[in-house]
Amino acid sequence: MSYETIIGLEIHAELNTRSKIFCSCRTEFGAKPNENTCPICMGLPGTLPVLNEEAVNLAVKAGTIFNCEINRLNKMDRKNYFYPDLPKAYQTSQYDIPICRGGYVEIETEGVERRIRLNRIHMEEDAGKLIHLEDEAVSLIDYNRVGVPLIEIVTEPDMRSVEEAIAFLRALKAMLEYGGISDCRMEQGSLRCDANISLRRIGQDTLNTRVELKNLNSFKELQKALEKEEKRQRELYTFGEEDKIKQETRRWDSAKGKTIPMRSKEDAHDYRYFPEPDLAPVIIDDIRIRKVREALPEMPAEKKKRFRELYGLSEKEIDIIIGDKAFAQYYEALVACGTNPKTGANWILGNMLKLLNEKGLGTDQIPVAPDALCKLTKIIAEGTISITAGQEVFREMFDTGRSAGEIVQEKGLSQISDTSDMERIIESVLDDNPQSVSDYAAGKTQAAGFLMGQVMKGSKGKANPQVAKAILEERLKQRV
Amino acid sequence: MERMTAWEIRCGITDKRFTAKEAVTSCFERIYEKDTIINGFLTLCHEEALNQAARIDEKIKRGEQVGRLGGVPIAIKDNICTDGIKTTCASRMLHDFIPPYDATVIKKLKEADAIIIGKTNMDEFAMGSSTENSAFMKTKNPWDRERVPGGSSGGSAAVVSAGMTAIALGSDTGGSVRQPAAFCGVVGLKPTYGLVSRFGLIAFGSSLDQIGPLSKNVKDSALVLEAIQGEDKLDSTSVRHPVTEDYISSMEKGVKGMKIAVPVDFFQSGLEEEISASIKESIEKFKALGAVVEDISLPITAEGLSAYYIISSAEASSNLARFDGIRYGYRRSEFSDLEQLMEKSRSEGFGEEVKRRIMLGTYALSSGYYDAYYNRAQKLRSKIREQFVKAFEGYDLILSPVSPALPFKFGEKSSDPVEMYLADIYTVNINLAGLPALSIPCGFSKDGLPTGLQLIGSHYGEEKIFRAAYALEQELKLKLQPVL
Amino acid sequence: MKISVEDVIYIAKLAKLSLDPEQAEKMVKEFEGILSHFESIDKLDLSDVKPEFYNEGMTPVLREDTACVFEDKEKLFQNVKSMRDTYIKVPKIIE
Repeated sequence: MSYETIIGLEIHAELNTRSKIFCSCRTEFGAKPNENTCPICMGLPGTLPVLNEEAVNLAVKAGTIFNCEINRLNKMDRKNYFYPDLPKAYQTSQYDIPICRGGYVEIETEGVERRIRLNRIHMEEDAGKLIHLEDEAVSLIDYNRVGVPLIEIVTEPDMRSVEEAIAFLRALKAMLEYGGISDCRMEQGSLRCDANISLRRIGQDTLNTRVELKNLNSFKELQKALEKEEKRQRELYTFGEEDKIKQETRRWDSAKGKTIPMRSKEDAHDYRYFPEPDLAPVIIDDIRIRKVREALPEMPAEKKKRFRELYGLSEKEIDIIIGDKAFAQYYEALVACGTNPKTGANWILGNMLKLLNEKGLGTDQIPVAPDALCKLTKIIAEGTISITAGQEVFREMFDTGRSAGEIVQEKGLSQISDTSDMERIIESVLDDNPQSVSDYAAGKTQAAGFLMGQVMKGSKGKANPQVAKAILEERLKQRV
Repeated sequence: MERMTAWEIRCGITDKRFTAKEAVTSCFERIYEKDTIINGFLTLCHEEALNQAARIDEKIKRGEQVGRLGGVPIAIKDNICTDGIKTTCASRMLHDFIPPYDATVIKKLKEADAIIIGKTNMDEFAMGSSTENSAFMKTKNPWDRERVPGGSSGGSAAVVSAGMTAIALGSDTGGSVRQPAAFCGVVGLKPTYGLVSRFGLIAFGSSLDQIGPLSKNVKDSALVLEAIQGEDKLDSTSVRHPVTEDYISSMEKGVKGMKIAVPVDFFQSGLEEEISASIKESIEKFKALGAVVEDISLPITAEGLSAYYIISSAEASSNLARFDGIRYGYRRSEFSDLEQLMEKSRSEGFGEEVKRRIMLGTYALSSGYYDAYYNRAQKLRSKIREQFVKAFEGYDLILSPVSPALPFKFGEKSSDPVEMYLADIYTVNINLAGLPALSIPCGFSKDGLPTGLQLIGSHYGEEKIFRAAYALEQELKLKLQPVL
Repeated sequence: MKISVEDVIYIAKLAKLSLDPEQAEKMVKEFEGILSHFESIDKLDLSDVKPEFYNEGMTPVLREDTACVFEDKEKLFQNVKSMRDTYIKVPKIIE
């Protein structure tokens, strides 16, 4: 019996606004607890909300890039429930009339292109953060995050494998980043994802009981959790015990490596939704939609196309570079300065990534400016220094922020490309190693390698290898 | 001072006949003398008021212009947030709550150089029609101290009526400014929904609440409205277009040619005979002054009461959910866990009527009942609004009673909540429709209790209301000072 | 409209209110009285009316996206009964 996997995702993304959705408090991450608060987001009695225009614009932008239908007359609704991270004891959200309906994201897995449909996108406000102390019967509340604007994106259950789910989330993340809609940092909580997964017999057209997964804090965790749950369900189906699959929410425990049923909140959620009486209706007219569309930056799909045509990079290289907006921007700046596209790709995918990982830096924290790196690649291309030397220089530039020229000068790394000096050294090496010369003549080509080593030694590593090799080969031929 | 109007006080100060300090001092003398028998004030701000007065006296000395309400003492209902001054909503839940900000109306009053003298008693969280639901004290009606002053702005109405202040602010969700005004023989205005900012008014029924002035006469009512009305960036529901800035200049135009409608449905059974007689006399006065007064039919309004209680309770149940003891307010001292902390704090902090309305509202919004109650109530609301708008196509004003009963004795109506609710029959529909309405004294019962009538205007039609009310006031010339 | 004690207790839980059995009984009676009055709206024909979510004439209100700081944090938190550093402290929440 063959089963297929059905996955749907529910994503929350914090919008890139300067102020909160209903008040003017700052939204930046990492502030002191309860620093970014005011009477309005703290829900003090008598306070009222006023909707942030940029939150609306970003929601419309999201609808535009995902090809959704944008609702022109919007209202917000109150979702009522008690929880200490919710100061008003209701979350202002959108219930039955979300700002965007439908839409899709195109993904590619193993060469197959698919369109994953969206069900809806709506605006809502975020809640605070709770910290539960280990050694005391005390919890601490930080309301900095209350009122940060969010969009909730709900997909149709269109994904048919864990790979597709991951590809979808990557593509969605890239589009939200490129669109400037959210900075999508899962580790900071500005991008959160819950998943719904079920199985069914191939050919069945109805859906079976699905399980909701929560606490998926990174792409890796999402993948592991989905795979684990898929396996759990598949086993139950295989043994005819599928009725053991309950519609429930399971928490992914990464330490234990399994999904655990969450304690169901009693009185299942009667949120008593009703239209928010403190807000005026939000009307989205053609002018706003056009302005948003016109201000859209280049999206990943278009960038990919352009990269393919202009830069001659492999698909994999393009995917990695474009997968990260900051990286892509860096790369294009590098090439714009004059670096060869292929060379540039090698540098950033090789040395750059290595050093970023080593130092734990993000792609938006690269300490070497594109034009500085460009200068370095040019010096290497001109032959002023060897590639090996170049790597050393790069590391120094990364660590100290000094320019390539400065470092090369100070360390005396210019390689000898001047042929007269080189010829002298080569001649003396050949003179000193007659055995190797005869070995080479006898067909032992590795002798040339040995001789090259001696040349490099003799030049204290400064010989330009390509030039030296050419001259060595020429002189060898002469002696043979 | 106890007989002076706000207008007279301001003139007296700007004409340098007396100082703001003298006005405030005289005011507090009267308060200390009389409030022990009336119990209108929950909090007094004597020191702050003297400081304000000193500031204004300085301004006058320097020859600077003072605001519209320069030096005039004003009392504030205790559900309006005042920075640094306790604001309790007459509830145990907020018995020690000190807001860290001023409501917009308070900011505006300060800009107009008014002097805030204290916070007045009310029904807890504005739920009630007698001020008996206050958790702290009983406010007495200055006309008969065994009777209620009305509610929920009973404290504000009583202190104006008793001459302890010339003007006060109240709030009106279903009649809470108009009914106590009628019970205490003062003028009370509920402005058009959105005309006055709600920012800083502790919310009860968000789509119904409005802050309004209580005063001794119509002119003062207009004066205060001019000071507190207008667009507020902090309130998304406040008016977004320019409004009449000057009501006083056109007030004396009279009512000649004005068309006033009287809904016959309001004068059927249930209305106290003496009130009916009083109102009918005023109708004759209007006719004599040249107004055209005609009967109309406004049938749907009985069901409006149900729609009102469903919508206001639903909104209240949500607005009051934030009171859980965590960030402010009453917090129970012993609790075993967070759940208990919240439940016990709420159960002990809220009074009976408040809990009843929260339960009612929760029920009306709950799954399975939303369509039957809340949704239907909102549809009915549309219909009621439509009816009124249609009526105003042919008329300038609608005249109606305010309360079906005269001020009742303490405890008389508190046993059956439904009986109390039914008394709101004439006022709630106006809140549902968002219309402006003013309650003006129109006579006395044979026992000397004040009677009032209501003048209802079209949206943003306060100007016509003031005109007609002023004309009636000048004609009736009632003696409105109770003997204390 | 018939309402049971169980219904009342359920609603009290939703509203985070605790009622003892006596209070619950009393509430049932009061509810029944109030709800029977609400029945008057059941009879009306409202099929042609769309529910009005906004008071007529309300125009969209949007705020410019500029941040500002509420400086006086001590004042903002002056009504909190227990804090630890700048956190608000509550009994442990079990998730």
